[in-house]
Amino acid sequence: MKFTTLVLKNLLRSKRRTILTVLSIAISLFIFSALVSLPTVANHVLADTASSVRIACRTKMGQAYPLPEAYKAKIARTPHVVAVTPDNFFGGVYHEVSDQFPNIAVDPEQIDVMWPDWGFSPGGVEEFKKLRTACLAAEGTMKRFHLSVGQQIQLRGATYYPVNVTLKIVGTIAKGPAPSFLVFRRDYLEEIEGRPGRVDNFWVRADSSQAVPGIIQSVNAKFANSSAETQCDSEAVFIGSVIGRFRMFFTLARILGLIVVVTIGLVAANAAAMSIRERRNEIAVMRSIGFRSPLILRLLIAESVVTALAGCVLGCGAAFALLKVFSVTSDVLGPFVGAIQIPPPVVLETLLAAILIGLWSSYVPARSAVRRKIVDALRMVD
Amino acid sequence: MNGKEAVCLERVSRTYKRDDFEVHALDNVTLTIPERSFVAIMGPSGSGKTTILNLITGIDHPTSGRVSVGNEEINGMNENQLADWRARHIGLVFQFYNLIPVLTAFENVELPLLLTGLGKAERKTHVEAALEAVGLAERMQHYPRQLSGGQEQRVAIARAIVTDPTIVVADEPTGDLDAKSAEEILSLLAELNRRFKKTIVMVTHDSRAERFADTILRLDKGVFVGAESSLVSGGAR
Repeated sequence: MKFTTLVLKNLLRSKRRTILTVLSIAISLFIFSALVSLPTVANHVLADTASSVRIACRTKMGQAYPLPEAYKAKIARTPHVVAVTPDNFFGGVYHEVSDQFPNIAVDPEQIDVMWPDWGFSPGGVEEFKKLRTACLAAEGTMKRFHLSVGQQIQLRGATYYPVNVTLKIVGTIAKGPAPSFLVFRRDYLEEIEGRPGRVDNFWVRADSSQAVPGIIQSVNAKFANSSAETQCDSEAVFIGSVIGRFRMFFTLARILGLIVVVTIGLVAANAAAMSIRERRNEIAVMRSIGFRSPLILRLLIAESVVTALAGCVLGCGAAFALLKVFSVTSDVLGPFVGAIQIPPPVVLETLLAAILIGLWSSYVPARSAVRRKIVDALRMVD
Repeated sequence: MNGKEAVCLERVSRTYKRDDFEVHALDNVTLTIPERSFVAIMGPSGSGKTTILNLITGIDHPTSGRVSVGNEEINGMNENQLADWRARHIGLVFQFYNLIPVLTAFENVELPLLLTGLGKAERKTHVEAALEAVGLAERMQHYPRQLSGGQEQRVAIARAIVTDPTIVVADEPTGDLDAKSAEEILSLLAELNRRFKKTIVMVTHDSRAERFADTILRLDKGVFVGAESSLVSGGAR
C-alpha cells in the first residue's frame, strides 16, 4: 500500500499517454467482451424458451422442404401426444423492408395447449380461434410499431409467400420465443395460397417429458421410407441445431476478439516500453538508494496492470451499457440481439485478458530496465 | 579522528573494457576514510573519482582488491544484498539531483523510508526533520520543477540523510549549480558533518570544496597523487 502513491503518480506522469493507452485497451476489451458474449444468445434462447415436453418435427431433407398437412392427424394419434400444431414461416414485411420480425402462421385450435408459457393476453386466444384473420402479436412488436389490440395491419409476403395478408390484432403475447414476433392463422394463409396443404414444422406436445423420446422415435418410424420423412427433436435440440448454424460465427467472433486483444497488447507494450525507457535514469537512482530490482519490476508491472484494469472497467462497462441499449431497442436490431448479455465468465475472461495485457506489455521492458547496470543507466542519461 | 573506519579500500583496481581497449580507471588504490570525516576527492575528468564513489556505494565492482564500508565487506554481496545494504548505510547525492519529477519534495525524501518498516507517522517525522535540516521545511509540497537547482540539491541531500546512513556520498554535488548555490550546498554538507557527525565523501571539481572538507584527496589517472591529510596509506601511488 505504501507504494500506491508512487505507482499512481507515475501513471499520471504523461496523462495523455496514459489516457490514450487506457482508451485503446478499453476499446479492445469492449470488442473482446462483446464478441465473446455472442454465444450467450444460444444459452439464453435455450434456457428461456425450450420446453421439455415440446417436440419439433420437420422434414429430414432440411428446412426448405415442407411436410404434408395430412401428417397432423397421424401424429396426433401417437400415444402420449397431447397437441399437434403445424406452422409455416410467412416472413412477411410490415410497411418497410426494415420492418421485419418473425411472423408465423399456426393452427389456432391448440395454440394455448401447445404454448401455455407464452403469456397470452386475456381473451386473446378465444378471439384468435374465432376470427380467421386474427393475429396475436408480441408485446415487443406492439410497442415497436405503436400498435393496439383491435387494429388492422397488413403484412406483405416476401421470399417464401408472394401474397399479402390483412390481419386484425386480437391479443398480445408477453413471453414468446423472441421479443418481437407475430402469429396468425394458418388456415387463412392456406386459403390465400389455394390450399397447397404444406407445413414447415409440426409442433408436438407430449403429456410428460419422459414420453418425449418415445414420441420422437414413433413419429420418425411412422414416416420412415415415405416421400417426406420426418426428423423430430426435442425443442431444446431443435433450437440448438438452429443456433448451431451460427457456431462458426461464434468461433470466428472469439478468434477476432483474441486478435484484437493481442494487437492492443502490442500497442500497450510499445507505450509501456516508451514510458520505462524514459525513466531508466530514475530506475537506476531508485536502485542506487536501495530499491531491489524485483521490487521495481513489480512496481512497473503494477503500473501497466492498473492501466489495463482501468481499460477493462471502461471496456466492460461500455459493452454492458451498449448491450443494455440493444436489449431495449432489440426490436430494431433483431430478435436475438436483446438476448446477448455479458455473463460473469466473460467478465472474468476480460479481466484475465486485461491482466495479461498489463503483464506482457510491461514485463520485457521493465525486466530489461532493472537488469541494466546502475552505473551504465546513470551514465547513459547524464 | 576517532579511529573507526567508515570506508576502507585495499589495493583496489578497476578496469573497463571499451571495445578492444582496456581503461584502467583505478590502479591498485588503497584508502581509509575514518568515521565522521568530510573527504573531498578532487582531480581532472577521467581520473577515477566517480569510479571510487561507485565502488564505495556498491553500484560498481572492483576488478581486484577489497572494499569495506562500515566494517562490512561488500565485494561478495549479490545485487539484492547490496540494495538492502545501500538502503541502510549509503546516502547518495548526484550532480543532477535526480529527484523523481512526479513526486513532491516530501515524497522524494520519503522514498528511501518506504524500504524500512516505519509507519506513515514515523516516516512523516523523519522526512520533516530531514527537510528541516536542509532548510526546506516550508517547501515540502513543492514539486522539483517548482524548486531552484540549489533547492533541488537540498532535497536530494535530505533524501540522502533521511535514513541516517553510515556515509553520505556526493558525486559533483555543486556541478550544476551557480556559485552562490554551490557555496550553500558545500556549507550544508559541512554542517551535516559537524552537527550530525555524518561521514561525507564527495567527488568534486569545485575548488571551493577545499575550504569546507577536512581532507582533500587528489586523484589523477587512477592513482592518488596527493593528500592534504593522512588518510591515504602507504599503498597508494
